[in-house]
Amino acid sequence: MPGVRPGQDATGSPLPVGDVERRLAFLRPRVRGAGFPWAQLGGWLGCLTLTGCAYVLVTRHALPPVLLGAALVAMAATQAGLQLGVFMHLRESRGLAWQVLPLALALFTALAMVGMSVWIMLFKSGVS
Amino acid sequence: MSAELAGEPRRRDDLPLELRDERESLRVTGVWLFLVTDILLFGSLFAGYAVLRTQVASGPTAASLFRLGPVMFETVALLTSSFTMGLAVQAMRAGNRRALVAWMAVTLVLGAVFVGSEARDFALFAARGDTWGRSAFLSAFDILVGTHGAHVTAGIVWALGILVRVGRRGLTPRTARKVYTFALYWHFLDIVWVFIFTVVYLLGKVG
Repeated sequence: MPGVRPGQDATGSPLPVGDVERRLAFLRPRVRGAGFPWAQLGGWLGCLTLTGCAYVLVTRHALPPVLLGAALVAMAATQAGLQLGVFMHLRESRGLAWQVLPLALALFTALAMVGMSVWIMLFKSGVS
Repeated sequence: MSAELAGEPRRRDDLPLELRDERESLRVTGVWLFLVTDILLFGSLFAGYAVLRTQVASGPTAASLFRLGPVMFETVALLTSSFTMGLAVQAMRAGNRRALVAWMAVTLVLGAVFVGSEARDFALFAARGDTWGRSAFLSAFDILVGTHGAHVTAGIVWALGILVRVGRRGLTPRTARKVYTFALYWHFLDIVWVFIFTVVYLLGKVG
Protein backbone atom coordinates (compact mmCIF):
# COMPACT_ATOMS: atom_id res chain seq x y z
CA MET A 1 0.00 0.00 0.00
CA PRO A 2 1.61 3.29 -0.95
CA GLY A 3 2.29 5.80 1.78
CA VAL A 4 2.18 3.32 4.63
CA ARG A 5 5.39 3.09 6.57
CA PRO A 6 6.60 0.00 8.42
CA GLY A 7 5.24 -0.06 11.96
CA GLN A 8 2.36 2.30 11.13
CA ASP A 9 -1.17 1.81 9.92
CA ALA A 10 -2.75 3.70 7.01
CA THR A 11 -3.57 6.71 9.19
CA GLY A 12 0.06 7.04 10.29
CA SER A 13 -0.49 6.05 13.89
CA PRO A 14 1.90 3.39 15.24
CA LEU A 15 0.80 -0.22 15.22
CA PRO A 16 0.54 -1.90 18.62
CA VAL A 17 3.78 -3.55 19.72
CA GLY A 18 3.30 -7.23 20.50
CA ASP A 19 5.40 -9.81 22.29
CA VAL A 20 7.19 -10.88 19.12
CA GLU A 21 8.26 -7.33 18.29
CA ARG A 22 9.36 -6.81 21.84
CA ARG A 23 11.39 -10.00 21.83
CA LEU A 24 12.97 -9.20 18.47
CA ALA A 25 13.71 -5.59 19.40
CA PHE A 26 17.45 -6.37 19.47
CA LEU A 27 17.27 -7.00 15.72
CA ARG A 28 15.96 -3.52 15.13
CA PRO A 29 18.24 -1.19 13.16
CA ARG A 30 20.30 1.05 15.39
CA VAL A 31 22.68 3.81 14.37
CA ARG A 32 24.96 6.27 16.07
CA GLY A 33 24.03 9.91 16.09
CA ALA A 34 25.77 12.71 14.24
CA GLY A 35 27.70 15.56 15.86
CA PHE A 36 31.32 15.92 16.87
CA PRO A 37 33.09 12.56 16.39
CA TRP A 38 34.07 12.10 20.05
CA ALA A 39 33.91 8.32 19.78
CA GLN A 40 36.29 8.25 16.80
CA LEU A 41 38.69 10.66 18.51
CA GLY A 42 38.63 8.54 21.67
CA GLY A 43 39.17 5.34 19.66
CA TRP A 44 42.14 6.84 17.84
CA LEU A 45 43.81 8.25 20.96
CA GLY A 46 43.11 5.00 22.81
CA CYS A 47 44.80 2.94 20.10
CA LEU A 48 47.81 5.29 19.94
CA THR A 49 48.20 5.22 23.73
CA LEU A 50 48.02 1.42 23.86
CA THR A 51 50.54 1.11 21.01
CA GLY A 52 52.88 3.54 22.79
CA CYS A 53 52.56 1.63 26.08
CA ALA A 54 53.31 -1.66 24.33
CA TYR A 55 56.39 -0.13 22.69
CA VAL A 56 57.67 1.26 25.98
CA LEU A 57 57.07 -2.05 27.78
CA VAL A 58 59.16 -3.90 25.19
CA THR A 59 62.01 -1.39 24.89
CA ARG A 60 62.38 -0.88 28.65
CA HIS A 61 62.17 -4.61 29.50
CA ALA A 62 59.84 -3.60 32.30
CA LEU A 63 58.19 -6.98 32.85
CA PRO A 64 59.22 -10.65 32.95
CA PRO A 65 58.71 -12.30 29.50
CA VAL A 66 55.54 -14.30 30.25
CA LEU A 67 53.79 -11.36 31.88
CA LEU A 68 54.99 -9.05 29.10
CA GLY A 69 53.57 -11.37 26.42
CA ALA A 70 50.21 -11.52 28.19
CA ALA A 71 50.12 -7.72 28.62
CA LEU A 72 50.98 -7.14 24.94
CA VAL A 73 48.30 -9.53 23.69
CA ALA A 74 45.73 -8.00 26.07
CA MET A 75 46.54 -4.52 24.76
CA ALA A 76 46.25 -5.73 21.15
CA ALA A 77 42.87 -7.32 21.92
CA THR A 78 41.69 -4.04 23.50
CA GLN A 79 42.71 -2.18 20.36
CA ALA A 80 40.83 -4.70 18.21
CA GLY A 81 37.77 -4.12 20.41
CA LEU A 82 38.09 -0.36 19.98
CA GLN A 83 38.32 -0.71 16.21
CA LEU A 84 35.31 -3.01 16.06
CA GLY A 85 33.17 -0.98 18.42
CA VAL A 86 34.10 2.55 17.42
CA PHE A 87 35.02 2.43 13.76
CA MET A 88 33.32 -0.69 12.44
CA HIS A 89 30.03 0.24 14.14
CA LEU A 90 29.68 -3.37 15.27
CA ARG A 91 26.61 -2.65 17.33
CA GLU A 92 24.81 -0.79 14.62
CA SER A 93 23.14 -2.35 11.61
CA ARG A 94 19.79 -3.48 10.39
CA GLY A 95 20.32 -6.89 11.93
CA LEU A 96 23.06 -7.29 14.49
CA ALA A 97 22.86 -11.09 14.62
CA TRP A 98 23.94 -11.44 10.99
CA GLN A 99 27.43 -10.15 11.58
CA VAL A 100 28.13 -10.96 15.20
CA LEU A 101 27.48 -14.70 15.00
CA PRO A 102 29.75 -15.44 12.00
CA LEU A 103 32.37 -13.09 13.47
CA ALA A 104 32.34 -14.91 16.80
CA LEU A 105 32.58 -18.27 15.02
CA ALA A 106 35.50 -17.04 12.90
CA LEU A 107 37.36 -15.68 15.93
CA PHE A 108 36.86 -18.96 17.75
CA THR A 109 38.09 -20.95 14.72
CA ALA A 110 41.10 -18.68 14.19
CA LEU A 111 42.11 -18.83 17.86
CA ALA A 112 41.66 -22.60 17.88
CA MET A 113 43.72 -22.90 14.70
CA VAL A 114 46.60 -20.83 16.07
CA GLY A 115 46.44 -22.37 19.53
CA MET A 116 46.27 -25.97 18.38
CA SER A 117 48.96 -25.53 15.71
CA VAL A 118 51.33 -24.13 18.32
CA TRP A 119 50.41 -26.84 20.78
CA ILE A 120 50.89 -29.72 18.34
CA MET A 121 54.03 -28.40 16.67
CA LEU A 122 55.89 -27.09 19.69
CA PHE A 123 54.94 -29.68 22.27
CA LYS A 124 54.74 -32.64 19.91
CA SER A 125 57.05 -34.75 22.05
CA GLY A 126 54.11 -35.16 24.40
CA VAL A 127 51.74 -36.52 21.80
CA SER A 128 53.94 -38.48 19.38
CA MET B 1 5.01 2.95 20.60
CA SER B 2 6.36 1.59 23.85
CA ALA B 3 8.97 3.55 25.75
CA GLU B 4 11.65 0.88 25.32
CA LEU B 5 11.48 1.27 21.57
CA ALA B 6 11.40 5.05 21.59
CA GLY B 7 14.49 6.56 20.06
CA GLU B 8 15.00 3.64 17.69
CA PRO B 9 14.77 4.57 14.05
CA ARG B 10 11.19 3.73 13.04
CA ARG B 11 11.29 4.83 9.44
CA ARG B 12 13.59 4.11 6.55
CA ASP B 13 14.49 7.77 6.25
CA ASP B 14 16.00 7.62 9.74
CA LEU B 15 18.58 5.06 8.61
CA PRO B 16 21.93 6.18 7.22
CA LEU B 17 22.09 6.22 3.43
CA GLU B 18 24.19 3.06 3.16
CA LEU B 19 21.67 0.96 5.10
CA ARG B 20 18.50 2.46 3.68
CA ASP B 21 18.21 0.21 0.65
CA GLU B 22 17.64 -3.40 1.63
CA ARG B 23 19.74 -4.86 -1.16
CA GLU B 24 22.67 -2.57 -0.41
CA SER B 25 22.29 -3.31 3.28
CA LEU B 26 22.51 -7.01 2.48
CA ARG B 27 25.81 -6.37 0.71
CA VAL B 28 27.17 -4.83 3.90
CA THR B 29 26.42 -8.16 5.57
CA GLY B 30 28.16 -9.85 2.64
CA VAL B 31 31.32 -7.86 3.33
CA TRP B 32 31.16 -8.92 6.99
CA LEU B 33 31.12 -12.53 5.78
CA PHE B 34 34.10 -11.80 3.52
CA LEU B 35 35.94 -10.40 6.56
CA VAL B 36 35.13 -13.62 8.39
CA THR B 37 36.93 -15.61 5.67
CA ASP B 38 39.83 -13.15 5.86
CA ILE B 39 40.10 -13.77 9.61
CA LEU B 40 40.57 -17.45 8.81
CA LEU B 41 43.20 -16.65 6.18
CA PHE B 42 45.21 -14.49 8.57
CA GLY B 43 44.60 -17.00 11.37
CA SER B 44 46.32 -19.70 9.28
CA LEU B 45 49.24 -17.40 8.48
CA PHE B 46 49.60 -16.44 12.16
CA ALA B 47 49.55 -20.14 13.07
CA GLY B 48 52.30 -20.83 10.53
CA TYR B 49 54.37 -17.93 11.84
CA ALA B 50 53.92 -18.95 15.48
CA VAL B 51 55.20 -22.43 14.69
CA LEU B 52 58.12 -21.42 12.42
CA ARG B 53 59.35 -18.23 14.08
CA THR B 54 62.29 -19.94 15.80
CA GLN B 55 63.37 -21.96 12.72
CA VAL B 56 65.95 -19.45 11.53
CA ALA B 57 68.48 -21.90 9.96
CA SER B 58 71.60 -19.80 9.23
CA GLY B 59 69.57 -16.63 8.76
CA PRO B 60 68.83 -13.79 11.16
CA THR B 61 66.56 -14.13 14.19
CA ALA B 62 63.49 -11.95 14.66
CA ALA B 63 65.27 -9.90 17.34
CA SER B 64 68.26 -9.17 15.11
CA LEU B 65 66.22 -8.51 11.95
CA PHE B 66 63.53 -6.07 13.09
CA ARG B 67 63.98 -2.34 13.60
CA LEU B 68 61.12 -1.05 15.70
CA GLY B 69 61.47 2.61 14.63
CA PRO B 70 60.07 2.24 11.09
CA VAL B 71 57.48 -0.30 12.30
CA MET B 72 56.25 2.14 14.94
CA PHE B 73 55.99 4.81 12.23
CA GLU B 74 53.96 2.43 10.02
CA THR B 75 51.69 1.58 12.95
CA VAL B 76 50.94 5.23 13.72
CA ALA B 77 50.28 5.89 10.01
CA LEU B 78 47.81 3.00 9.77
CA LEU B 79 46.05 3.78 13.07
CA THR B 80 45.65 7.39 11.97
CA SER B 81 44.33 6.31 8.57
CA SER B 82 41.72 4.23 10.38
CA PHE B 83 40.71 7.35 12.34
CA THR B 84 40.47 9.50 9.19
CA MET B 85 38.36 6.79 7.52
CA GLY B 86 36.05 6.92 10.55
CA LEU B 87 35.78 10.68 10.00
CA ALA B 88 35.05 10.06 6.31
CA VAL B 89 32.08 7.83 7.18
CA GLN B 90 30.90 10.40 9.72
CA ALA B 91 31.09 13.11 7.04
CA MET B 92 29.19 10.88 4.62
CA ARG B 93 26.42 10.43 7.17
CA ALA B 94 26.23 14.18 7.57
CA GLY B 95 25.77 14.37 3.78
CA ASN B 96 29.03 16.29 3.35
CA ARG B 97 30.54 14.91 0.16
CA ARG B 98 33.54 17.25 0.07
CA ALA B 99 34.59 16.31 3.59
CA LEU B 100 34.08 12.63 2.75
CA VAL B 101 36.36 12.86 -0.29
CA ALA B 102 38.94 14.89 1.64
CA TRP B 103 39.12 12.47 4.59
CA MET B 104 39.22 9.47 2.25
CA ALA B 105 42.07 11.09 0.33
CA VAL B 106 43.99 11.59 3.61
CA THR B 107 43.29 7.94 4.45
CA LEU B 108 44.73 6.79 1.14
CA VAL B 109 47.82 8.97 1.47
CA LEU B 110 48.47 7.48 4.93
CA GLY B 111 47.88 4.00 3.48
CA ALA B 112 50.41 4.71 0.74
CA VAL B 113 52.91 5.97 3.35
CA PHE B 114 52.42 2.70 5.25
CA VAL B 115 52.96 0.53 2.16
CA GLY B 116 55.94 2.64 1.07
CA SER B 117 57.67 2.34 4.43
CA GLU B 118 56.98 -1.40 4.56
CA ALA B 119 58.30 -1.91 1.02
CA ARG B 120 61.47 -0.01 2.01
CA ASP B 121 61.93 -2.34 4.97
CA PHE B 122 61.54 -5.40 2.78
CA ALA B 123 63.96 -3.97 0.20
CA LEU B 124 66.55 -3.47 2.96
CA PHE B 125 66.11 -7.08 4.10
CA ALA B 126 66.41 -8.31 0.51
CA ALA B 127 69.58 -6.26 -0.04
CA ARG B 128 71.17 -8.19 2.85
CA GLY B 129 70.01 -11.47 1.35
CA ASP B 130 67.28 -11.96 3.96
CA THR B 131 64.58 -13.05 1.53
CA TRP B 132 61.93 -15.69 2.09
CA GLY B 133 64.14 -18.53 0.82
CA ARG B 134 66.67 -18.04 3.61
CA SER B 135 64.81 -19.70 6.48
CA ALA B 136 61.41 -21.01 7.51
CA PHE B 137 61.09 -18.00 9.83
CA LEU B 138 61.61 -15.58 6.93
CA SER B 139 59.15 -17.52 4.73
CA ALA B 140 56.44 -17.30 7.37
CA PHE B 141 57.25 -13.66 8.14
CA ASP B 142 57.26 -12.56 4.49
CA ILE B 143 54.01 -14.34 3.70
CA LEU B 144 52.15 -13.03 6.77
CA VAL B 145 53.32 -9.41 6.52
CA GLY B 146 53.30 -9.49 2.70
CA THR B 147 49.69 -10.70 2.59
CA HIS B 148 48.68 -7.81 4.83
CA GLY B 149 50.65 -5.35 2.68
CA ALA B 150 48.96 -6.74 -0.44
CA HIS B 151 45.58 -6.24 1.23
CA VAL B 152 46.41 -2.60 2.01
CA THR B 153 47.64 -2.03 -1.56
CA ALA B 154 44.49 -3.59 -3.01
CA GLY B 155 42.42 -1.45 -0.62
CA ILE B 156 44.05 1.73 -1.95
CA VAL B 157 43.21 0.77 -5.54
CA TRP B 158 39.64 -0.17 -4.51
CA ALA B 159 39.15 3.14 -2.69
CA LEU B 160 40.40 5.14 -5.68
CA GLY B 161 37.70 3.50 -7.77
CA ILE B 162 35.08 4.36 -5.12
CA LEU B 163 36.26 7.99 -5.04
CA VAL B 164 35.81 8.23 -8.81
CA ARG B 165 32.26 6.84 -8.46
CA VAL B 166 31.37 9.21 -5.63
CA GLY B 167 32.72 12.08 -7.74
CA ARG B 168 30.62 11.06 -10.73
CA ARG B 169 27.37 9.96 -9.12
CA GLY B 170 27.35 11.75 -5.79
CA LEU B 171 26.09 10.16 -2.60
CA THR B 172 23.51 7.50 -3.40
CA PRO B 173 22.60 4.40 -1.35
CA ARG B 174 24.90 2.46 -3.67
CA THR B 175 27.98 4.71 -3.50
CA ALA B 176 27.44 5.23 0.25
CA ARG B 177 27.37 1.46 0.76
CA LYS B 178 30.62 1.14 -1.19
CA VAL B 179 32.30 3.74 1.02
CA TYR B 180 30.94 2.02 4.14
CA THR B 181 32.11 -1.46 3.09
CA PHE B 182 35.54 -0.10 2.20
CA ALA B 183 35.69 1.46 5.67
CA LEU B 184 34.91 -1.94 7.24
CA TYR B 185 37.69 -3.54 5.19
CA TRP B 186 40.17 -0.80 6.10
CA HIS B 187 39.48 -0.97 9.85
CA PHE B 188 39.75 -4.76 9.66
CA LEU B 189 43.24 -4.43 8.13
CA ASP B 190 44.11 -2.14 11.01
CA ILE B 191 43.11 -4.84 13.50
CA VAL B 192 45.23 -7.41 11.65
CA TRP B 193 48.17 -5.00 11.70
CA VAL B 194 47.83 -4.43 15.45
CA PHE B 195 48.26 -8.18 15.92
CA ILE B 196 51.17 -8.34 13.46
CA PHE B 197 52.81 -5.45 15.30
CA THR B 198 52.31 -7.17 18.64
CA VAL B 199 52.90 -10.85 17.84
CA VAL B 200 55.55 -10.51 15.13
CA TYR B 201 57.50 -7.34 15.88
CA LEU B 202 57.15 -6.66 19.61
CA LEU B 203 57.22 -10.28 20.80
CA GLY B 204 59.96 -10.93 18.20
CA LYS B 205 62.10 -8.33 19.95
CA VAL B 206 61.39 -9.94 23.31
CA GLY B 207 62.67 -13.25 21.90
